[in-house]
Amino acid sequence: MKDVIEGLALLVLSLIAIWGAWQVPQAAPGETWAGLVPFGAALALFGLSLFLVTGGLRSVSHGSGFDDQQTSTTGTREILTLFLIALVYQQSFRWFGYVLPTAIVAPVVLYMFGVRNKVGLTASVFLCPLVFHIIFFELLGVFPPYGEVFDLLDAIRG
Amino acid sequence: MEIFPALLSVITDPVLLFAIVLAAAVGMIVGATPGLTASAAIAMLLPITFYMPPLFALAFLYVIGKSGRYGGSIAAILFNTPGTAASAATQIDGYPLARAGKAGKAMKVATISSVIGDFMGDIMLVVGVGFIAALALRLGPPETFAIYFAAFVVIGSVIGKSVVKGMISALLGILVSMVGLDPITGQERFTFGSFELSNGIGLVPLMIGVFVLGEVFAQLEERSKSTGEVRENTSAPDGHSLTYDEYKPCIPHAIRGGFIGAGIGVLPGLGSAIAAFISYGEGKRRAKNPELWGKGALEGVAAPEAANNAVSGPSMAPLLTLGIPGSTIGAILLGVFLIHGIQVGPTLFLTDRELVYQLFACGMLGIVAYGFIGYFGASQVARIILKVPTSVLYPLIFLTAFVAAYSARGSLFDVTVMTFAGFAGWLMRKFEFNVAAFVISFVLAKGAEETFRQSLLMSDGGILIFVERPIATGFLLLGILAMAARIRAIMRERKVVSGELEDA
Repeated sequence: MKDVIEGLALLVLSLIAIWGAWQVPQAAPGETWAGLVPFGAALALFGLSLFLVTGGLRSVSHGSGFDDQQTSTTGTREILTLFLIALVYQQSFRWFGYVLPTAIVAPVVLYMFGVRNKVGLTASVFLCPLVFHIIFFELLGVFPPYGEVFDLLDAIRG
Repeated sequence: MEIFPALLSVITDPVLLFAIVLAAAVGMIVGATPGLTASAAIAMLLPITFYMPPLFALAFLYVIGKSGRYGGSIAAILFNTPGTAASAATQIDGYPLARAGKAGKAMKVATISSVIGDFMGDIMLVVGVGFIAALALRLGPPETFAIYFAAFVVIGSVIGKSVVKGMISALLGILVSMVGLDPITGQERFTFGSFELSNGIGLVPLMIGVFVLGEVFAQLEERSKSTGEVRENTSAPDGHSLTYDEYKPCIPHAIRGGFIGAGIGVLPGLGSAIAAFISYGEGKRRAKNPELWGKGALEGVAAPEAANNAVSGPSMAPLLTLGIPGSTIGAILLGVFLIHGIQVGPTLFLTDRELVYQLFACGMLGIVAYGFIGYFGASQVARIILKVPTSVLYPLIFLTAFVAAYSARGSLFDVTVMTFAGFAGWLMRKFEFNVAAFVISFVLAKGAEETFRQSLLMSDGGILIFVERPIATGFLLLGILAMAARIRAIMRERKVVSGELEDA
C-alpha cells in the first residue's frame, strides 16, 4: 500500500512537471527546444511512478508486502512540528531580522531535543544569537538579514 | 611529477598546513559521530569557504571528506554504531575485537589500513588523472553525454535497495535542476511566474537542506524511537598496543582492499560502502582463517577500511577530468570549484594544473594528519564525542543550517529552499529514496542537458548520433548493462529470501 501512495504522489508531481515543461515556448529555428529535457524527465518520472503504483497494487492484491512495508510513524508529529518551526523561523528573518527569531527558536528546538535545564535554555536565548551573529555577520562579514517589521539588532545598535 | 613541487609548496605554507590538520581533526570527529556525516559537515561549512582562497577552501573540505571516511571506523569499533555506511563492514570484526578488550588494537589496524588504502588511491589518482584528462579532451558532446547517461543510470540503479526508487530520485534531481532560465535560450522553465525561481535552485542551500537539516529531522525521529545510550568499549591493558607481527597478516588484505577501493572509486556513484563490503567479502574468501572473520579478526578490519578510504582519491578523477562527481562529497566540491570561478573538466588541467596538484598534495598531507591523530588519539576523539550531548548538538546544527544557507549568497530565498529541501531530504530517507542519486543528478543535469542539445544540433536533431559513435554507444550500453545487472542481482536476492521463507 505504501508503494501505491508514494506512486500516486509522484504521479501528481510528474503531471505538474509535464504541464510545466509544456509551458516552455517552442524553439526558434536552428535551436533546440528548452523544454526538451524537462519534458523527457517528467515523462520518465510519470512512467516510473505508474510502475510503482502498479507494482504496489499487484502486491496488495496478492496479499504480500502489506504489513512488512508499513512505514513507522513514530516521531512524525515531532518532525512536522519542527518543520513548522523551521518554516516560521525562515519567514521571520524577513520580518524581524536574525537576532530575535534565533533567540526565540533556540530554546524551543533545544527543548524539543530533550534539554530541560532552565539555565541552559535561558542561556541559549542570549548565547545562540550572539555567537552565530559574531561568527557569520561580524567575522565573515555577511550582511545580516534586515527585519522589515522590527529588527532587534537595529534597536540594540540605536 | 608535478606532485613534488606541489607538495613542497603546501608544506612551506604554515596556514595551509594548519587548515589541513584542523580539517583532519574535524572530519574525524564528524565521521565518528553517529548520525553526522562528512557530507553534512562539508555542506554546513561550504558557505564559510566562500571567504577563503580556492586552494584553502578545496583542501579544507577535501581533507574533511577523507578524514570523515576514516572517522566512521571509530564509531563502528568503539560504539558498535557505524559512523558512516562504509564503516558497517568494519563493524563486523571491529566490534567483537572491542568487546574482547582489543579496541585499541582494532583502532590501530583501522588507522594503518585506512592510511595505506588512502595513499594507494591518491597515488593512482596522481598517476592516472592526467591520462584520463588527455583522453577526455578528445571527447565530443555525444560521448560526454553518453558518459553522463551512464553516470545517471549507475548512480540511480546501483545505490540503494530499489532500482525504481533510485531512478525516480535521479529524475527528481534532474527536474529540480531545470528550474530557472534555460542557459542556452534564456527561456523560463518551471518558474510558475516567480522571479526568485527564475534564478534557479542553488546548490548550497539544496545540499545544506538535504544533508544537514534532513539529518536533524532524521535524528529527531531516531530520538523518539531509541531507548538505549551509546557507550564506549575500552581496551584491556594488552589490547591497546599493536605489534608488527600482529599487523603483518593484515598487509595483503589492506593492499588488496586499496586496489578494490581505487577501482570502484573511479566509477561514479558506487562509493565507499560498496568497496568496503566487496573488499571484506574478497578478503574473507582468500583468508587463511575465514572461520575467525566476523568473530574478531584483525584482517577483517584491515580489508574494508583500506577499501573504504582508497575510494577517496580516485573518486576525484571523474570530477576533475569530466566534471562528473562520483560521490556526494564530489558534488559539493564541484560547487566549491564553480563558486570560485574554476571550470572543472578536461580543460582544468590546462588552466589550473598547479591548483589541482596542490589539492592532491593537501590530500596526501591530510592522510598523514588523520593517520597521526587517529593512531595516537582515536580513543580521545571517542571520549570527546561521548561528552557532547546530542540533545545540544542537533539543535545547534539546526540553527547553523539556517545561517549557513543565508550566508552563501545573502539570500532569504535560499533559506526557504534549504528548509523545503531539508523536509524533502527527510521524506526521501524515510521512504527509502536515494538522496545521493538525487543530489548527484541535480549537479550533473545541466552539463548533461548541454551536451545532449549540442549533440542534437550537430546532427540536425537526429538521435542516431549517439549510436553512430562507438565510444558513445559503449557508454550507453555500459549504463544499460549496469542497470540490467543490478535488476538481476535484486531478483536473485528476492528468490533467495522467498526460498528461505518457504524453507522456514
